[in-house]
Amino acid sequence: MRIGTARSSYRHDESLFDSRTQHAWLAVLAVALLGFPFFADEYWLYLACLVAINIASTTGLNILTGYTGLVSLGQAAFMGIGAYTVAALEQKLGTPVLLNLLAGGFVAMLGGLVVGLPSLRVKGLYLAIATIAASVVLHFVFANWHSVTGGHSGITVAPAEILGLSFDTSFRLYWLFVPITVLMVLGAANLFRTRIGRAFIAIRDRDISAEVLGIPLLRYKLLSFGLSSFYAGVAGGMWAYFFRVVTPESFPLIMSIFFLAAVIVGGMGTILGAILGAVFMTMVPEALKLIVGWLPLSADATLILSPVRTIVFGALIVGFLVFEPLGLQEIWRRIRRFFHLWPFRA
Amino acid sequence: MRRTVLKRLLATAVLAATAGLPAAQAADKEIVIGGSIPMSGVFAFAGIGIHAGIQDYVKMVNDAGGIEGHKLRYVPEDSAYKVDQSVAAFKKITSQNKVNFYYGDSTAFSKTINPELDRAGSMIMSGASFATELNDPKKYPYQFVAGPDYTQQFGILLRYIAKEKPGAKVAFVYSDTEFGRDPIETSRGVAKQLGLNVAIEIMTPPGAVDVSTEIAKLRRARPDFTIFHGYILGPIPEFIGQARQLGLDTQFMGTFWTMDNTTVMQMGDVAEGFMGVMPYNYYYDTATPAPMLDKIRAMRPEYQNVPYIQGFLSAMLYAESARRTIAAGKEMTAANFKAALNSIENFDTGGLIGVPITIRGNTIPVGRIYRADTKAKRMVPASDWIVLE
Amino acid sequence: MEFDGLFLAEIVLAGLGAGGLYALTGLAFVMIYKATRVVNLAIGEMLMIGAYLCFGLATAMNLPMWLAILVAVIGSGMAGALLERVAIRPMLGESPISVFMVTVGLASVLVGVVELIWTSEPRRLPEFMPSAPVMIGEAFVPPKVFYGFLVAAVLIAVALAVFRFWRGGVALRATASDQQAAYSMGINVPKVFSLSWTVAAMIAAIAGVIVGAVGGISSTMGVFGLSVLVVVIVGGLDSVLGALVAGLLIGVVESLAGGFLGGEYKLLATFMILIAVLLVRPYGLFGTHEIERL
Repeated sequence: MRIGTARSSYRHDESLFDSRTQHAWLAVLAVALLGFPFFADEYWLYLACLVAINIASTTGLNILTGYTGLVSLGQAAFMGIGAYTVAALEQKLGTPVLLNLLAGGFVAMLGGLVVGLPSLRVKGLYLAIATIAASVVLHFVFANWHSVTGGHSGITVAPAEILGLSFDTSFRLYWLFVPITVLMVLGAANLFRTRIGRAFIAIRDRDISAEVLGIPLLRYKLLSFGLSSFYAGVAGGMWAYFFRVVTPESFPLIMSIFFLAAVIVGGMGTILGAILGAVFMTMVPEALKLIVGWLPLSADATLILSPVRTIVFGALIVGFLVFEPLGLQEIWRRIRRFFHLWPFRA
Repeated sequence: MRRTVLKRLLATAVLAATAGLPAAQAADKEIVIGGSIPMSGVFAFAGIGIHAGIQDYVKMVNDAGGIEGHKLRYVPEDSAYKVDQSVAAFKKITSQNKVNFYYGDSTAFSKTINPELDRAGSMIMSGASFATELNDPKKYPYQFVAGPDYTQQFGILLRYIAKEKPGAKVAFVYSDTEFGRDPIETSRGVAKQLGLNVAIEIMTPPGAVDVSTEIAKLRRARPDFTIFHGYILGPIPEFIGQARQLGLDTQFMGTFWTMDNTTVMQMGDVAEGFMGVMPYNYYYDTATPAPMLDKIRAMRPEYQNVPYIQGFLSAMLYAESARRTIAAGKEMTAANFKAALNSIENFDTGGLIGVPITIRGNTIPVGRIYRADTKAKRMVPASDWIVLE
Repeated sequence: MEFDGLFLAEIVLAGLGAGGLYALTGLAFVMIYKATRVVNLAIGEMLMIGAYLCFGLATAMNLPMWLAILVAVIGSGMAGALLERVAIRPMLGESPISVFMVTVGLASVLVGVVELIWTSEPRRLPEFMPSAPVMIGEAFVPPKVFYGFLVAAVLIAVALAVFRFWRGGVALRATASDQQAAYSMGINVPKVFSLSWTVAAMIAAIAGVIVGAVGGISSTMGVFGLSVLVVVIVGGLDSVLGALVAGLLIGVVESLAGGFLGGEYKLLATFMILIAVLLVRPYGLFGTHEIERL
């Protein structure tokens, strides 16, 4: 039962994982992640890859919305930029996979910087609406820039190939996506140990005060947009290699809402929250399918599955906002606290 | 503490292992048909019909003893007409069963899953989509369309128009989606070849509420025939209603997805005289002897929509490919199934399609023109069966 | 293309008609914002609920259209009050972004409920408007659009008068500007909230019936709400007059874009206007300029 940790040096204070228990659990997680693909069937591997992509994107959105306080409904559109970049590069130039993913991230970052430019003048809700507008404009570009994006039919992507090995099954893609996602999550966690991360948090709490303290607002807000759209771009690139078809309809506004919901449900402004939110929102439809299958309803209960899923999605957003605004990670923390204090409860 | 860590490690490993155990399979002689069926979502009316059609055919065949000693088994999942759900369903079904035939719900799904089909080489696929792109045996070797693709549907319509009124003025009204845009470009050329004049092409935004601007454009062009494509119901009734009020005298026509009896009759009075191309007989057709339709009518006393016939026919073609493959003593692979499918020549569908069919490539380029009779609430044939080369 | 005056006139008239509907839905939105300071992204879905209630009453229960519309409007009002009580009232005092996200969640729930009861198949409302063609000079105006515009115009005029002259309207404006002061003046603030959501839902239902009559109803009708969002931003979130002017403006611009550039440019044109307004005059044409207080 760990009640506190005695920190003996600044280095220790700054570290991300600061106790032996945490190290042990990390080792367990690593073993589980490494061992999972050997025990899981095609379907669970498919889900795992999807979860990895969603974690990457949600972490990015969390940087922008959870940590910097700039609400964005454009995450799906930035993923679209990343996906189209990767697809176009793969189709036209055949450049290596990792390079494509990086390029996808960078082009999406440029897009994010452009969209973030008005963020000084436009705040709060108006910024959210501006990101909706950006989504619509980007959708138009995807659908009508035939030479690059293939217009309405989109682009089909050949399977990723690294050193001659073709990543065409979920099993192989798992080994590509999970390390990338882990790197990105660690990167985000690390970001908030640094000055830049603290500046983001300051901007979220009170941007005028942050400016008074000497944080150049435009630069840091743009940086936040850029970083989050970089994450979205890489996630979009992974998406392209996963689904292997990129069309303008692949990244609708509802997907942006999905990611924002994942951030809220998981817990805004925490790394664990982004992970939990992404996992939860991806697995809820699967869980619903199981539940609907078990219930003793008439044979075609699958007919009501889709509307029920929509209702549950909306209800989750409303429910978490009304009852648990701190999200899943707060529930997780409470459970942990309970077990920490358990032997000492009177 | 080390003990607890080790204990939890063991627990995690066991959990991971059990999560991955696939369900036990009965590996005796059977033919498995998997499907990502859009049983909910915007395409639900089609999905429910397709689902019923495949179910009924499978039941009919199994009751008669199966195919060459093999029973048919149908494993569907709801895709809600969303690509990621269709793909997830595909992965789930193929990981738990040895699938021989698959039914897809959309063009996007067919395109996405094509590399998987090529890699697996164990099943062939058809689906609800009539996309022109799928009619490419080189690019989509293990897929086929149980009817004419959209360009061929336009072709049938244009041939009818050219025969009725040579040199007529035609308008294309289509939706701004992949579905809508599919046949437009090629059909322009086909129209010109047939000596028809494409007066105007009008594209409507998807989900458009108000089409007054588009109707104004149509009025300008004054076409003799107006072909709708890329819609199911709306905004066609609006178009027809307002055009009639303006005194615009044009013959309105539609493609497959607009031509179901229920859909057309929902248009109300404006549907009178609406024409279009349909590759199948309707549920209630009794003009020609149709043993399959009789069986369907016996199994299902109420009207079954055209997607039902599409599902039923697809299952019939799956069964026929399987039968030919097994009878020839060949292994049940995708290549053999496709070869068997392409060996289908002058095949009698039992009245689902009015003429015997031959499947040379990936489609069945057959159809006939129907006209809506709102008093009888039926679609009435307005031409002979047209077979494209 | 050669300059065709009649074509232009018809396009502009069609745009005004559509704009009237935008203005009407914008009115519902502004009413909610004026009273409760909530940006309600679910306005398109509330419109859809009204249309579907009317559809359900007219087809399943076979009520005559006028009765179906009346009951649907009242039913929508009650639904609006329920939504406010359940989802918005508990969020009192939370950040506007959180409340915004709650309305996003509500929109999803409403869509799901509609799909559950009526499936996501597009339907048509029974005809109830006079169908004789309406000619203004030589230009043809689709009758549904014309009558829809009339209804919208009348309702907006009534709303403008109400806000200016009726005590309830003044109470609404008072609650919006300062809740505490309104309480101190004896205004029953929770009742004002409920009232504003009820009335807004009723207006949205009327708009929904008209929109449904013009283009059919489906579970994706709510996307209308996105265009309305643009209208209220351009007009000013808390200005009824702004909703009217901006609604007509956006309607005409969309129509022109669709007529001369092509159908795919409609939504693009609308959102380009939004971006321009956000950059130049974020509070809209007639909105009150909000001063950020520390």
